[in-house]
Amino acid sequence: MAQSTFDRRRVNGPEESFPPVFDDEDDGGLGWVAMRNRGAEDIRPIFLQPGLVSQANGSAYIETENTKLACAVYGPRQSKTTTYSERGRLNVEVKFAPFSCVRRRAPLRDAEDRAVAIAVHQSIVSSICLELFPKSTIDVFIVVIENDGTEGCIASGSIAASTALADAGIEMLGLVASCSASVRGDEIRLDPVEKEVAAADGTVILACMPALSSVTNVYQSGRVSAQGALKCMELCQGRCIDVHAVMAQSLLSSRASMP
Amino acid sequence: MTSETLLPGQPVALPLGPSPTLGAGLYAKDGHVRASLVGVPRYEGPTLAISRARPHPPTTNSVVLGVVTRLSPLQATVAISVVDGLPLPAGEEFTGVIRSQDVRATEKDKVRIGECFRGGDVIKGTVISLGDARSYYITTARNDLGVIFATSEAGATMEPVSWQAMRCPRTGRIEKRKCAKPENL
Repeated sequence: MAQSTFDRRRVNGPEESFPPVFDDEDDGGLGWVAMRNRGAEDIRPIFLQPGLVSQANGSAYIETENTKLACAVYGPRQSKTTTYSERGRLNVEVKFAPFSCVRRRAPLRDAEDRAVAIAVHQSIVSSICLELFPKSTIDVFIVVIENDGTEGCIASGSIAASTALADAGIEMLGLVASCSASVRGDEIRLDPVEKEVAAADGTVILACMPALSSVTNVYQSGRVSAQGALKCMELCQGRCIDVHAVMAQSLLSSRASMP
Repeated sequence: MTSETLLPGQPVALPLGPSPTLGAGLYAKDGHVRASLVGVPRYEGPTLAISRARPHPPTTNSVVLGVVTRLSPLQATVAISVVDGLPLPAGEEFTGVIRSQDVRATEKDKVRIGECFRGGDVIKGTVISLGDARSYYITTARNDLGVIFATSEAGATMEPVSWQAMRCPRTGRIEKRKCAKPENL
């Protein structure tokens, strides 16, 4: 048993280890009340920088307070394994760094990375002109360097992936911006952090192309009333316009600084 | 026509009158012309396009350069490394094949692949079809297409002496190749 679970590829820590204990932990839902130093409809400030990974075709780094992700795009390259397809294939892979969460993140233990990958894939796949890339694969690799809630990861991942694809010069219908919301009772808070998500009844993630005013992905989990979900989507769509402006600004300034 | 940089999804301001044909990097949707790449649209004759400085997969009629990697009596396998003048990143070559009937335009049934190509030759060709799941179909059936660089058995770079022979400058031996006509002749 011990033999089969032993990971031969990596440096393994001690057999038994414990995450650090903090004083302010386990505040019993206080996260919802206390953990907010911004307005309910404000999102965290975004730092977005395209073109950081020099080996990749295109890349982007995004930081929204404690959510930090790096995204690299490779391709379009020839799909070797699949059968002939008239359209291109988009392949999204998400990995959590071992130090990205409070508790050490062992590789391949759970399916959260794949769940995030599917959500990001869904958000950006309809924005790419895949019919222009027959027989080809576009690879998007996302590394979560610091994680502050899955919802924030999916939203930031979609933003970073779309920026990296634009940086890679891959034809797409429009830039995809994304925003998350959490609901508790009648209160809606945008761009929740991990503690707020834990205390919330439900969450909504919206991805859209503000330039075309079309929605690419809506992802709702938990208990949210129909009215609440619609209200969340409306608020998120408004914030996506702001996010889109950040993306446009970062792409234009990175292009201006290119030789 | 402004010369500002456009982002994907941004509408393109078009002058009044007949609309231009759209090239790469632009698309029309719901009556609006929008950009699909980051860049400045420019006219190339009647076509309005955002120039693509990034390498892209081959399409039909693409001019490709590649290295012959494998020979069989029916076809030569080529690793495509340059598409339309843009080099692909290392290790991301596309695979193409030159079938024996696509080597030259005349006497197709007399073609012997071994007398037209050798492993390691650099060839210039055009893509005739996206082919099957594995490879693109390439043709060299034109005067300006064929082997553009080859080394002899002695290891020296050979020079073409006719459209189907090359000579080694070191030993003077003639080797058979389907040569491309040099551009400056």
